Amino acid sequence: MSASVLLMQDIAKTFPGVVALDAASLSVRPGEIHGLVGENGAGKSTIIKVLAGVYHADDGTVSIQDTPVSPVTSEVIHAAGVRFIHQELHLVPHFTVTESVFMGQEITTRLGLSRRLMCARAETFFRDVLDVEINGDILIRDLGTAERKLVQIARALIDDQARLVVFDEPTAPLASGEIEKLFRAIRRLKDRGIAIIYVSHYLSEITDICDRVTVFRNGRDVAVLDKVDENCANELIKAMVGREIDALYPKSGHTRGALVLQAKGLGDTGYFSDISLSAHSGEIVGIAGLIGSGREELIDTLYGLRPARTGEVTLHGKPVRFSSPADAVARGMVLVPRDRRRDGLVLDMSVSENINLASLEEVSCYGIELRNRARERASRQIRELDIRPDNPAIISRQLSGGNQQKTVLARWLATRAAIFLLDEPTVGVDVGAKVEIYQLIENLARNGAAILLSSSDPGELIGMCDRVLVMMRGRITHETSAVGLSIDQLVAMTTGASTQNSAEGHADAR
Amino acid sequence: MPMPASARPESGASGLSRIIDAAPLVIFLGMLIYIGFNAPNFMSFGTMQLVLNQSVPVVVVCLGLSIVVMAGGDDVVSGGIDLSIPATAVICAGIIAQLVTNTDTPLLLAIALALGAAMFIGIVAGLMVTRLGMTPLLTTLALFVAVVGVTKVVTSSRRINVDDPFIIFLRDGEILGISAGVVITLALVLVFYHFIHRTKWGLNLQAVGGSCEAAEISGLKPGHFLFWAFVIAAFTGFLASFFLLARGSGSSPGTENNLMLEMVLATFLGAAFSPRRVVTLWGAVLGAVLVAALSIGFKTMGVNVFWTGLIKGSLILVVLALAALSSRVKS
Amino acid sequence: MSIFRKTAIAGLLASVVFAGSAFAGEHLSLSGKRIGVAVVGTQHFWDREAFNGAVATVEALGGEVMAVDGGRDNQVHADNHDILLAAGVDAVISILGDGAVEPKFEALQDAGIPVFTVDHPSPFSVNNTTSDNYYMGTTIGRYMADAIGGEGKVAVFNAFEGALRICGIRAGLWKYVLADYPGIEIIQPELAEEFANAPEDARKQTLDLLSQYPEGTLDAIHVGCWDQPAIGIVQALEEAGRTDIVVTALDGGPETLEIMAEDGSPFVANVAQQPNLIGSTSAMNVARYFAGETLLPQTYVDVLPVNGQAEAKAVYAELGYGTLD
Repeated sequence: MSASVLLMQDIAKTFPGVVALDAASLSVRPGEIHGLVGENGAGKSTIIKVLAGVYHADDGTVSIQDTPVSPVTSEVIHAAGVRFIHQELHLVPHFTVTESVFMGQEITTRLGLSRRLMCARAETFFRDVLDVEINGDILIRDLGTAERKLVQIARALIDDQARLVVFDEPTAPLASGEIEKLFRAIRRLKDRGIAIIYVSHYLSEITDICDRVTVFRNGRDVAVLDKVDENCANELIKAMVGREIDALYPKSGHTRGALVLQAKGLGDTGYFSDISLSAHSGEIVGIAGLIGSGREELIDTLYGLRPARTGEVTLHGKPVRFSSPADAVARGMVLVPRDRRRDGLVLDMSVSENINLASLEEVSCYGIELRNRARERASRQIRELDIRPDNPAIISRQLSGGNQQKTVLARWLATRAAIFLLDEPTVGVDVGAKVEIYQLIENLARNGAAILLSSSDPGELIGMCDRVLVMMRGRITHETSAVGLSIDQLVAMTTGASTQNSAEGHADAR
Repeated sequence: MPMPASARPESGASGLSRIIDAAPLVIFLGMLIYIGFNAPNFMSFGTMQLVLNQSVPVVVVCLGLSIVVMAGGDDVVSGGIDLSIPATAVICAGIIAQLVTNTDTPLLLAIALALGAAMFIGIVAGLMVTRLGMTPLLTTLALFVAVVGVTKVVTSSRRINVDDPFIIFLRDGEILGISAGVVITLALVLVFYHFIHRTKWGLNLQAVGGSCEAAEISGLKPGHFLFWAFVIAAFTGFLASFFLLARGSGSSPGTENNLMLEMVLATFLGAAFSPRRVVTLWGAVLGAVLVAALSIGFKTMGVNVFWTGLIKGSLILVVLALAALSSRVKS
Repeated sequence: MSIFRKTAIAGLLASVVFAGSAFAGEHLSLSGKRIGVAVVGTQHFWDREAFNGAVATVEALGGEVMAVDGGRDNQVHADNHDILLAAGVDAVISILGDGAVEPKFEALQDAGIPVFTVDHPSPFSVNNTTSDNYYMGTTIGRYMADAIGGEGKVAVFNAFEGALRICGIRAGLWKYVLADYPGIEIIQPELAEEFANAPEDARKQTLDLLSQYPEGTLDAIHVGCWDQPAIGIVQALEEAGRTDIVVTALDGGPETLEIMAEDGSPFVANVAQQPNLIGSTSAMNVARYFAGETLLPQTYVDVLPVNGQAEAKAVYAELGYGTLD
């Protein structure tokens, strides 16, 4: 038996302006479940894509079963028995289980498809290999998410040629009760001698299921743990984070004013439930959580983009029910959305037009836009926020990401709102612009606005916020003061590895 | 964004959504029963045969459209759609009529030329959509207009009679006591059904339309299937041209508009009848026959001619609204 | 005009006809009979009036009407006859239609259902009620030749000469008259108008024609078989400032009579039909048939020649369309 089923050595990959992988290595032994962890941008997905043949490495070697593979293409890798279980399910909802499992590798006779044979094989596979009973004739859309995941796994493994299976965030779409079903299937695969790479943000899962773990940071493998148990979460976090909070943040303690926004028992089937939170004037409240924790949906619900199924929201002590963002804006609540290109900016409008979009009433008279007043207003904002180039007439598409984000902020600043919902305000923004955006947020708080800051950057949350709420699988699992909070602690809370509060979130998807 | 856990439907469909699902079929059957009791001779073998006869050209072009929708996905704007099929049918009919009647060309040669024209249209549509990435809706709408224009040039926008025995056979002939057109169309439907639902190629074509990513991950090439879907669709246009010639005893200008309307309606109506709520061959065929049955029923009942259009259009809106409602209730 | 008012007028006309024939000593009735009325479309005045005339008269005679409308699509119109056949009506009145209806007529005849046509001579029809197309064709030929002084170049919209017998008569006799004017030249190829969207289509084709034939090289535009395209032709002439070109057409519906009645209108000659009376007469013929009378294959209904503005106003009033000033 060979020493490793997969050996990737000194892999380097540079994208224009970014070093994604810098001499990274990964070694997987036969029959083990090998965890792969790291923060966003650490290089996990890049190395998986190099293995899949999606990216071609600039340097380094890949060997499978001690045989060098070159070049690495998707066909060669597939032939060598490597299978990928993508994070997204990618199934056709109106296909049957059998049709989905055999997609692209159907069994045919001269007369056409052998549906019965395929169905029998699929059902046998589920029973013998994955230890579940799934009817081959049922439609995908009538299955639960966990079963869909198993169908996806069956599709990759039905040809019985798999030696190494890569799971990319397999539990992301699952509710906690369904995870055990998946783990049982993964352990069965291991028992059959199939090696597994398990990529996940959830450290509790990593410590639960993995035999060994490789930690990535800044494009390199910084640690390999040969023995994994519940107690090594801290060790993993240290290896993942490896830095202190830097001096990007202007925080200087806020005066907490009157209660402005309060939510009680807010819920939306399948996304989040029983969410209670409050925000005071002059306060910045952070919301932490992994992607899929319900954080994005919560923000959208507060803003009226999605209806809440349960619970109530009060604004300045009065219950409100927003059925659209226009309601929210009218009541003094605004959102800086995460995807500014899609939701925040009209890219083909000028900077001036974008800035004035939300406050057209103030710059128009009986519905007629007062061009001079609008332009003057835009120029003032551009100066204040240091948007470059400082030309109000320039088309927004031509601005850099940071300046686009500042344009969106400028628009909402212009409305003088009382509550700001900021969803990932610095994603894709360079450091210089980040500092300016942080200063803007700080100024808003000092001027008495209440701010909800939803972010996946733990440093940003600790650096900017007074309090941080941690969401996991649709519930708030922790609420903590940001003062004295370390990145390690916050990461532990968001990844479910925290020992401080053992009540792990069990989002009830019903 | 990962698929949220809520995408998992709870144990079985709720009662409400089951009622909504059954509603289109119930409405249509109800209408037919009502017509049956109120229209003289409606529940007769003759009328049934008439319904089938009149739906023949629509059924044939519906086969083509459903295949394109299956391969391209059922989003009306970005998914697969081919509006050019009726134009293909009309130009093929025009070419055959013009050559056979006005230039004494042998029928087989005229048919070969018509087939060539149809394939050309299919290949152009396929290449434009798959290679240039143009929107199927706009591409095929433009093709429709262009092809109808060429048809006017070919036929000088005039009616041309055709009395070739083969065409007359399609119109008046019988096989086993049933109209030849209906029997031949049924055979066509069966061949297409086998091709789409019983072969690997057909299933893969459906996979491509159902989820492009899923198909790609499984090693299928979406562009390949979509391209051939357009070519097959043009071929159904070619086939439909014979039934157009038979029905009109020649080629009449202006038949393409009604054909296109009925094709689109029947195909998407058919989705409401299919158990999987997607466009299928049988659904489209059933849709075409039901639309024909309803319109004949209304005429037989003597519903004021000025109102039939409104009633037909409203019924279709109701069915489509129910389909939309059903998917909303489920999510 | 509301549908109600139209039917009221049709009913009035029908009762006049009915009274007239009753006066002649006939006791006609369609009581207990179901009469299918198939019309190619109801968008155009002529078709609609003929249809209304037939329907109102059948009802006035005590018959039951089963009406089908082809929506201005000859194919659908032809198919509609199958529906009448399946429904087992007692007789069919078929208004207009092209060659596609012939096999349907034959099938109806085989099933013992008599077919009565309007403006569509057919070997399978008991009787065809129509205007005097021969008189229409020769009259419009003479009027047009006079209007351009017996010589010049003429363009003709003539899509249906080969497809519809009545159009063959009208256009053929128009040409027959022009053969005696060696100075008149018909521009080749002839133009083919669209059936479904005639005015707009004719407008575009005329604009193209005008750019092809500059000032002084075209003297008249004639529509060979009907008048809807003439609406678009006159529009195009006015747009291009070429109202020196003379326009002639047939049918004389109210829209075209109104255009003729305008001051300085290029539309100078027309022959007006009485579509409501034609439809009504066809229905009377059905009743005569059931009363055992022998019908001639063709029944001709009078037409009214319209030459110039003054006559247009007079005919407009005479046909009950209102008054024009």
